[in-house]
Amino acid sequence: MNCDWVKQNVALYVYEELPDDQRHELERHVERCESCSVELGAFRAFHSAMRTVPAPEPTPNLLASSRMRLSEALEDAEQHRGWSRFTFDFAGWLHQARLAPALVLALIMVGFVGGGIAGWQVTRNAGGPGRDDGFKQPAEASIAAIRGITQDPASNSVRIRYDTLQPQTATGSLEDPKIQQLLLYAARNNYNSGVRMDSVNLLTQRPEDEKVRQALIFSLRYDNNPGVRLKALESLRGYVKTDTQVRDAVLEALVRDSNAGVRSNAITLLQPVMADGSVRQVLQHLADTDKNQFIRSESRRVLDSLPEID
Amino acid sequence: MPAETLILTVGANGSTSNPARRGHMVSQSLSRVDDSQLIRAAQRGDRVAFEELVRQYDRAVLRLALHLAGSEADAQDIYQEAFLKAYRNIGSFRFECSFYTWVYRIVTNLCLDHLRKKQVRKEDAPVTVDSNGEEFDLLGQVSDDRPGADPERDLMRRELGGRIARAMTKLTPRERMVFELKHFQGLKLRTIGEMLNTTEETAKNTLFRATQKMRGSLGDMR
Repeated sequence: MNCDWVKQNVALYVYEELPDDQRHELERHVERCESCSVELGAFRAFHSAMRTVPAPEPTPNLLASSRMRLSEALEDAEQHRGWSRFTFDFAGWLHQARLAPALVLALIMVGFVGGGIAGWQVTRNAGGPGRDDGFKQPAEASIAAIRGITQDPASNSVRIRYDTLQPQTATGSLEDPKIQQLLLYAARNNYNSGVRMDSVNLLTQRPEDEKVRQALIFSLRYDNNPGVRLKALESLRGYVKTDTQVRDAVLEALVRDSNAGVRSNAITLLQPVMADGSVRQVLQHLADTDKNQFIRSESRRVLDSLPEID
Repeated sequence: MPAETLILTVGANGSTSNPARRGHMVSQSLSRVDDSQLIRAAQRGDRVAFEELVRQYDRAVLRLALHLAGSEADAQDIYQEAFLKAYRNIGSFRFECSFYTWVYRIVTNLCLDHLRKKQVRKEDAPVTVDSNGEEFDLLGQVSDDRPGADPERDLMRRELGGRIARAMTKLTPRERMVFELKHFQGLKLRTIGEMLNTTEETAKNTLFRATQKMRGSLGDMR
């Protein structure tokens, strides 16, 4: 390692991009070479001066208006499908099957028919050397699908590959990570709004957890049941002031939610950040242009109650 | 309502699996499920899923565009074009790289085009305009809101912001992009290379040139 090499790589050293061995060698070289030590000091000074001026963050207002503009444009946008429309998306199909109750029901029916065939095949060889000890009768575990049946001509044993659909129960406290994960899953993915409401209801007890807060924001944005959205909104109350993501989500609910109850509650929630310019701007916009008379008058009332800004 | 019942489809090859291991697999798949499920849903034309994906990355995208383009209006145009392009072409996303890298590749290309056009027009003034058409110095806008912040120090920082902005206009669009992604966005050079369709080695060389030029322009900071 020579001085030229050090001068070429001092930036990579400061930006932590050098491999460990080169990093170590550079440090040793700098300890005994004065000109390289000066060069490293100069680069560090440059780096720390640059760090005193970070990139400006986009304002919540700019972000919210960019999202709204994009959302409008997406309504008319079409995807380029090309050859992909002729290919079969197996993973996507599996995903749909999991989510669509009707398809799941159909799968169970296929499973029972398949189970009947499998039972017949296994019964034929009952007591024989090829019996799979792990096999359970359909009463214990419903067979969802038979994936393949092969017969070994030499031993006459039959090999059957199958999937099972098993109901399971998990029990534990709210602190149990597995229970938390299942609740988060239920809040985002379950098709039964009653189950979503129950999971959101339980999650509201832990809004301080970042993952839980994300799930609650998701419910506020996307749940199609206004009751669930309202519950999620209420649980985020304490974070409007400290978490900008929560504030954005509440602002968005105020502007875009289809339910007037959710929107009027969002106004109440924004109370602690009313002094914020972007919130004021949104309220002004709603007070002037919103189609809902109640939202217009409520926004106007809140604006009038705020102190004037010079 | 404390009772939870969940039906899980468990693949089996004719043998029973260890419940603890199964639980581990379930928790792993649940944590990974969001992004790939959202991408697949978006590939089937689900706009809500796409918008949820957008929200995971759009703040960083807007920050990058705002810093590089220099005006809120241009940053919004880049944001809009990038995500519309991503939506139209999401069918061609094949999970060969992360969705993050894929989106950033689109954004960096648009930003590079913007910087090149700007260079041709020689609009390299560090002063930019906000959505109301009023001029402001973008880097100088970052105020120090900490309690007890020193106004004199804040003024010096604003001046420094202006000098840095002027120094950055002397970089080529590609040098500026690499410097921006490394210094301000904190990305690894390997990722930057992937985003810019080049090698890590080339990204290293570009960063070296960019920092040399910046140090040259900012002279007395050295």
